Amino acid sequence: MSQIPVILDCDTGVDDAIAIMLLNKLPQFKLLALTSVVGNVELEKTTNNALRVLELIGADVPVYRGAAKPIFREAVRAVYVHGENGLGGIELPQTRSAVPGINAWDYIYQEAVKWQGELEIIAVGPLTNLGLAFIKYKRLPELIKRIVIMGGSASIGNITPAAEFNIYVDPEAADIVFCSGVPVYLCSLDMTMKAYLTAEEIAQVGALGSKPAKFFQDVSQGALNFYNMLGLPGMSLHDPATVLYANDPSNFEAHHVGIRVETKGPLSAGRTVTDLYSDAQWEKNAYIITDIDRKKFFENVLELMSKY
Amino acid sequence: MNKIPIILDGDPGHDDAIAWVLANASTSLDIRACTSVCGNQTIEKTSYNAMRVMKLINLDVPFAIGRRKPLLSDPIIAPNVHGESGLDGPVLPEPTITPEPIDAVELMAKKLQESAEPITLVPTGPLTNVGALLLLYPELKQKIARISLMGGGINYGNWTPAAEFNILVDPEAADIVFNSGVPITMAGLDVTEKALIFPEDFERIRALNNPVATVVAEWLDFFYQFHRAKGYDGAPLHDAVAVTALIRPEILTMKDYYVQVETAGDYCRGMTIADRFGVLQQPANATVILDIDRQAFVDLIVEAISFYGAVAE
Repeated sequence: MSQIPVILDCDTGVDDAIAIMLLNKLPQFKLLALTSVVGNVELEKTTNNALRVLELIGADVPVYRGAAKPIFREAVRAVYVHGENGLGGIELPQTRSAVPGINAWDYIYQEAVKWQGELEIIAVGPLTNLGLAFIKYKRLPELIKRIVIMGGSASIGNITPAAEFNIYVDPEAADIVFCSGVPVYLCSLDMTMKAYLTAEEIAQVGALGSKPAKFFQDVSQGALNFYNMLGLPGMSLHDPATVLYANDPSNFEAHHVGIRVETKGPLSAGRTVTDLYSDAQWEKNAYIITDIDRKKFFENVLELMSKY
Repeated sequence: MNKIPIILDGDPGHDDAIAWVLANASTSLDIRACTSVCGNQTIEKTSYNAMRVMKLINLDVPFAIGRRKPLLSDPIIAPNVHGESGLDGPVLPEPTITPEPIDAVELMAKKLQESAEPITLVPTGPLTNVGALLLLYPELKQKIARISLMGGGINYGNWTPAAEFNILVDPEAADIVFNSGVPITMAGLDVTEKALIFPEDFERIRALNNPVATVVAEWLDFFYQFHRAKGYDGAPLHDAVAVTALIRPEILTMKDYYVQVETAGDYCRGMTIADRFGVLQQPANATVILDIDRQAFVDLIVEAISFYGAVAE
């Protein structure tokens, strides 16, 4: 079986870190590289965090540095979930560096050309790198097979009442991506809020005993507290659920929808507006994933982490 | 039991008309006035319809006509839903009432000033009149017990993917209403699209065989055409939920939220945004209705319409 070439575009991040660990154990994918982006924390931190997680799990995967700020806006961070260092205060050793001299968006284009339409992107941070790539390279849309995104919502927001964090941080980039013509699969908050792990389940992963498994447990504690403070039963694994959707959609519910990003409304900027439930219908340009079998999700997470 | 004094403000409109039929039949409501607003159709048509409905149900209270257009924007009308007249279907009696010589907003203010106890407003169209009232007579806020409105939706829209019709038509007025501090009950699409009346329910109403029942059944026949084409199993009686909230709240599921109205944007103008995780740390300003016992709701409508048969006898 030939592997699917994939790039993970991420703002590592607690749940990004877990997503990296899971993706590394999915034999279906050939993980070409990580591309870093500003998001949960500053670009230097998301870049270094990606390098550290790869080092921890012994994965020989390069990291390309991406955008240090959203296309039009100033950066917004999520340290209340991810901590000042982006990894819930957990310090990991770092001996590696990002690939020098080439931007994430140029690298994405190079790989897209090389793989002649077979390349897939999993994007679990703000969509700035992809937005810039589409602005720079007119041919790019026809060279990417699909983009699986963690972001947006057909109902609730999290960073604002209307908007999900990744889309809110760079709504213009997100709209460029949704309108690019590349098949887009949006793993929305509707689904990812259901992809939570309780304190007990996280401890169960930690009890697997490997270094990555213990890191999984340790890195989750701050975010777990945050979700518990909101009155939620566990920590949402937004990015890991997105990676697992990309791997196998069978435990998820998806809908073909029209979707655009609000960039102008003072209260609604970053809202992914979908025609999923409304009488008014748009041209369909994306799939939105709204539900998940949580039990199967946890089983998959546990099984993949047991491979370390 | 003390009756709840109310003012009905609407843009009839099939579901407005049925909301008024329901309110007028209730022994727990005291209707002090009716007012019209432009929405489903032009102000001329909604006013004429309002007066015809009042005649049909023998509702003899002061009536005043609202303004020609929303506070800031141009009118939007919905002939695809309600027909060219705004209330297509059966032939209705000609009005006998004469509109008050004052504007809808002035009539509302007069009724609030005259009333010993606070009055509940029941707007089932765009919030133009109520917004103007709050803007022009801020001192009357304490005379408004509650605003039980049909509008918005905290998950999705209908006229646009993000916005429900009534709020979309006059978002600035809606913004004034939601920021007013007056208690709000919001019957939005979250509940009103569950407040379905099925074709077999139309027949229950028709079989009541009184003059109001016959008209309501024919309104439903017409109103359902649009919704059937959209794939609905029945006709959503949006506006009747705002009345139900006052007379039969026990059949509704409600939750308090801080709700804001988006007034700008490429796609979100007219969206009602509820802060479900409390990220803004603002006190709730609206009781949002989320669900309804559909069968109990239909029974309530049927029971209300049977009241008109008893009157005729």
